Amino acid sequence: MDGGTAIERVNLGGERSFVKEIGKLTMGAGEEFHGEGILAVTKALLQSGISYVGGYPGAPMSHLIDVFAEASKEILEPMGITYEQSASEAGAAALLSASIHYPIRGAVTWKSVVGTNVASDALSNLASTGVTGGSLIILGDDYGEGSSIMQERTYTFAMKSSIPLVDPRYDMERLVDLTEHCFGISEASNMPVFLNMRIRACHLTGSFITKENKIAQFNTNNPVPEQRYDVNKIVLPPQSYHHEKAKFDQRLPAAVAYSKENSINEIFSGNNEKYGIITQGGTYNVVMRALSRLGAADAFGNTDIPVYCLNLVYPLIEDEIIDFVKDKDSILIVEEGNPNYIETQIATIIHAQGLDCRVHGKGMLPMAGEYVSNVVREGVAQYLAEEASGATGELALEKNSIINSNTHKAQEYLPEPMPVRPPSFCTGCPERPIMAALKILMKERGKFHISMDIGCNLFGSLPPFNVGNTVLGYGLSLASSGAVGPALGQSNVAIMGDGGFWHNGFTTGIINAKWNKYDSVLVILDNGYAAATGHHKLPSTGMTPKGTPSLLSIEKALRGVGVEWIKHVDSYSLEETINVLREAMDAKDKGLRVVISNKECMLALQRREKPAKAAALKAGQTVIKEKFGVDEEVCTGDHSCMRLSGCPSLTLKKSNDPLKETPTAHVDETCVACGNCGEVAHAAQLCPSFFKAQAVQNPSMVRKLSSKINRAMLSMLGAQS
Amino acid sequence: MNKVNKIKSNVRPICILVGALGGQGGGVLVDWLVDAARKAGYHAQGTSTPGVAQRTGATTYYFELFPEKNLQKTPIFTFFPGSDDLDLMVAMEPTEAGRAIERGFVTKFTTVISATDRVYSTAEKVSAGDGRINIVPVVDAIQKASKKLVQLDLTALSKGTNARGNAIVLGAIIGSGILPLTKDECRDSIKSKNVAVESNLAGFEIGLKAIQNNNSVNSSDPDLIFEKAPSAFDEKITLFPENAHLIISHGINRLIDYQNSDYANFYLERLKKIHNATNSSDGKLVSEVARHLARWMSFEDVIRVAQLKTRPGRLARIRKDLNINDQIPLKVTDYFKPGREEFMGMLPKSISWLIPNVGKLKKGKGISLHLPTGSAFGYGMLKILSSFRPFRAKSTQYKEEQKIIELWLAAITASANVNEDLACQTAALAILARGYGPVRKSGLDKLISLFNDWDARLESDKNGLSIEVDQHILLAHSNPDAT
Repeated sequence: MDGGTAIERVNLGGERSFVKEIGKLTMGAGEEFHGEGILAVTKALLQSGISYVGGYPGAPMSHLIDVFAEASKEILEPMGITYEQSASEAGAAALLSASIHYPIRGAVTWKSVVGTNVASDALSNLASTGVTGGSLIILGDDYGEGSSIMQERTYTFAMKSSIPLVDPRYDMERLVDLTEHCFGISEASNMPVFLNMRIRACHLTGSFITKENKIAQFNTNNPVPEQRYDVNKIVLPPQSYHHEKAKFDQRLPAAVAYSKENSINEIFSGNNEKYGIITQGGTYNVVMRALSRLGAADAFGNTDIPVYCLNLVYPLIEDEIIDFVKDKDSILIVEEGNPNYIETQIATIIHAQGLDCRVHGKGMLPMAGEYVSNVVREGVAQYLAEEASGATGELALEKNSIINSNTHKAQEYLPEPMPVRPPSFCTGCPERPIMAALKILMKERGKFHISMDIGCNLFGSLPPFNVGNTVLGYGLSLASSGAVGPALGQSNVAIMGDGGFWHNGFTTGIINAKWNKYDSVLVILDNGYAAATGHHKLPSTGMTPKGTPSLLSIEKALRGVGVEWIKHVDSYSLEETINVLREAMDAKDKGLRVVISNKECMLALQRREKPAKAAALKAGQTVIKEKFGVDEEVCTGDHSCMRLSGCPSLTLKKSNDPLKETPTAHVDETCVACGNCGEVAHAAQLCPSFFKAQAVQNPSMVRKLSSKINRAMLSMLGAQS
Repeated sequence: MNKVNKIKSNVRPICILVGALGGQGGGVLVDWLVDAARKAGYHAQGTSTPGVAQRTGATTYYFELFPEKNLQKTPIFTFFPGSDDLDLMVAMEPTEAGRAIERGFVTKFTTVISATDRVYSTAEKVSAGDGRINIVPVVDAIQKASKKLVQLDLTALSKGTNARGNAIVLGAIIGSGILPLTKDECRDSIKSKNVAVESNLAGFEIGLKAIQNNNSVNSSDPDLIFEKAPSAFDEKITLFPENAHLIISHGINRLIDYQNSDYANFYLERLKKIHNATNSSDGKLVSEVARHLARWMSFEDVIRVAQLKTRPGRLARIRKDLNINDQIPLKVTDYFKPGREEFMGMLPKSISWLIPNVGKLKKGKGISLHLPTGSAFGYGMLKILSSFRPFRAKSTQYKEEQKIIELWLAAITASANVNEDLACQTAALAILARGYGPVRKSGLDKLISLFNDWDARLESDKNGLSIEVDQHILLAHSNPDAT
């Protein structure tokens, strides 16, 4: 790995440091914790007496894993808590197996719905056999604005495997309280429990009063006395039939009983009991804001409209629902996502009871998409206008129409749509030149289909590169090219990051391609980390997140399964990269050809080098300050470079020369001097506009002298330097 | 069952939305606010949508503060901004303020603090023409749509300091008085973060000051600078329509710089023919041709590039760009990749075949040169190349370019006889003669094939020709990858 040995990479730490948060995690009883939602949940785990914790990082719950990685020596080891960042979500889910026989609590976490997909094999087995110790699965629900994945509900998993699902109301005290209760629900029902954390909720800030951390009865310092065997815990017939029955006869009813007893769900009574709203805990705040903006509630939750807040969204508590709706003429169900499982279940309950209560839901709210403030306000306004008698309904309608008319008035001023701005490769990213190389190769030999993977590499599918055709899942790019290549009469071409390689790519992709004798080109982008999620450690980074040295080699893994055609490229040398890729494409009879680009993530490199350079500069050592530039007079402004580079620091500048019709290229001060723009100009023979400038700060005496001589000579040649 | 107090309060939270691009420090800005609010004893909540959006994409951060202290009950905060409910919209880039209007978050209720510094989107950059959206009407819309617009030229404000934009914006937020937070509470918040405290405090003070004496910032492009031709040309220039004088004068200067006075006179002769061919006296066609012709006649051959790269002030300008004084040794490396075509283009046609068609000089390849133009050696090499100017007229490329210029001028003249608008459009076709190497070659090839049967088509299919010309020009101004 260039630009960072294993040690350097690990010592660098994650993109965000949690030194301050670690102190908060050891707070005792009665102290005020202030911080992010996901860290409050982390503290709640420690207060619940867990014996193990694990997970796979990804937005929005990475911080839970990161903070434990940093805290492992100081907090986890003394408490006897086992911790691992698993190789995938399936591995993390499999950790929960420890709670099947033994009365020990544990928690795992990942991004949902994608991580839940990966983990589902283990989850289904776990849900069938059931658990003894409290088992919590914290889902970072990546749904709505800022999401990087397909939009689906996690609810389906809860239903199909009968796993209780908690969707907490976001008040930080309550969030911590509910997290602790999840273990109670789990132990009462012998089922693992899902705790669903929304993307914005993971990063909200707030406060709660802490409790003492609880050391589990059994932990690594005090192990369970002996192993247990019980054939009833094995998922094989006939036990699996008993498991299925137990889910509905005992386990789910026990979850309901525990939740009723502990008031997991909440009723906020109102002034008029003829109507009401049923909401998921996670959308409660949005509903209350809607009511307050429509004049039916205040900022503290004092409301005219009764609200039943479901913190436990699966299973539903039938008695509570009947109690809430029995005197009502109508209710509105605010349920984000589709299918509308909650609405359907409640309608069934009301129907079975023969109650005369109209059920509104998806008819007034959108079928799909995030339930943000405006969306919920519109739905609630429509409900109040239709169902609430007299002043409440009229006021809501009036306030809503004022908001809308004010908004439309403002929108009408805008002359044109704003340019879209999707995420992209960072300045200096070593993956960018690979995409440029592929685009140049396509100009040379015609377009070919490329299967992309999860991670930063996927940005290659977006402008200006447009070189990725499909994405099917983490580590699945090579596997997903299997039938495409033959169908198009080309080699399979796939891109995969190092994260994807270790997650799933090696088994599902490489081994499959090798075994089935694919005619394939695989480009592995080994930048040292799971960079997209915030520089998480990977098997090939060099150490575990805890700092235990442990290095696995991508190349050795490939050679171990018989891959022979392996070439490394320095992606910043674009011509060489193009040549190697061309060679790989042409080696049709050689089976699987792997090109590995192993340049470190530029963000990581900069995090390490910037402070080092600043320190060296301060200490009087020679430090080179470098940057690329464009000679405005030489640039003719056709922007070919932009279409091959896409670098954020390569931008436009309007010249004051009347002969320049279009803005010229310009390299701004964010340039990190990776050289890609110059290389692109070279490789595609674009123009001679680019130059590299290097300032030698704190020069040696010799350097100073030679510079002086050089400047004198330059001056003789007529240059002011 | 939770029995609640039914007396409703009228106080609402103060809501602030921050629109930024990943890497602009929007998250830290909200952290400062949350921390300052807590220090001051207010309930507040910040939230963001991290994830891949933060990798250079557009993202938002949202902050709410309840403006009363010592509360009996905790106020309910939400994660999403609502329409007509924002007290303040902060944009680290002006189109992000535009986007907030687009999404319905800015109304007459909302104050907008917006940076004026454009960060162009990929969509704007990849156009082969000027793909930038016109920001002037956008800023105008923000002004009209909002309660008040405060513009901050962050680049200008931070000049000469290490201050980052987010710290300046924090100062402006506090200076605006929208939040009940004091300056000291914010200063403490910056200090307790313990990251770049000095520069952030400096930025904070800059922002405080900027909002006090806020003048609206003109965010349009720089004014064009027309150079004045030597007075010897004055008389000749007056023969042309008056509104073409500025550009002709500029063109003359350019061509003297490029070659010599004779060449500038040649330019005027060519223009004269166009002037004579046009019937209208508004000077529109002459101006159009004057601009394109001067640019085309100063096409960037190897000699010209060498000349531009050895401009006396170039190294000093690079120093300024790097922000280093003249005592610090400077290395400048230029990226050249001349191919066989370039070498042949430099020589007279009779001997250009001498350039062998082998190795790196094979068609479509080139010799990669990293020339140290910051050294006397590299600079001297380019200086020698640029001194070949007197022989330029003998080079193959010069002859080729002039031939196509003549075809172009002939096409304009012919069109002017038929239709003035078509003549102007034909003049604009000159945009195809731009770039270097393969880009230039493909543009010139297009022009040659277009001018090949120009006169015949002008006679038989004037409308079809006009449409085709428009299409070529449109294409040259859009994103070629999109077609």
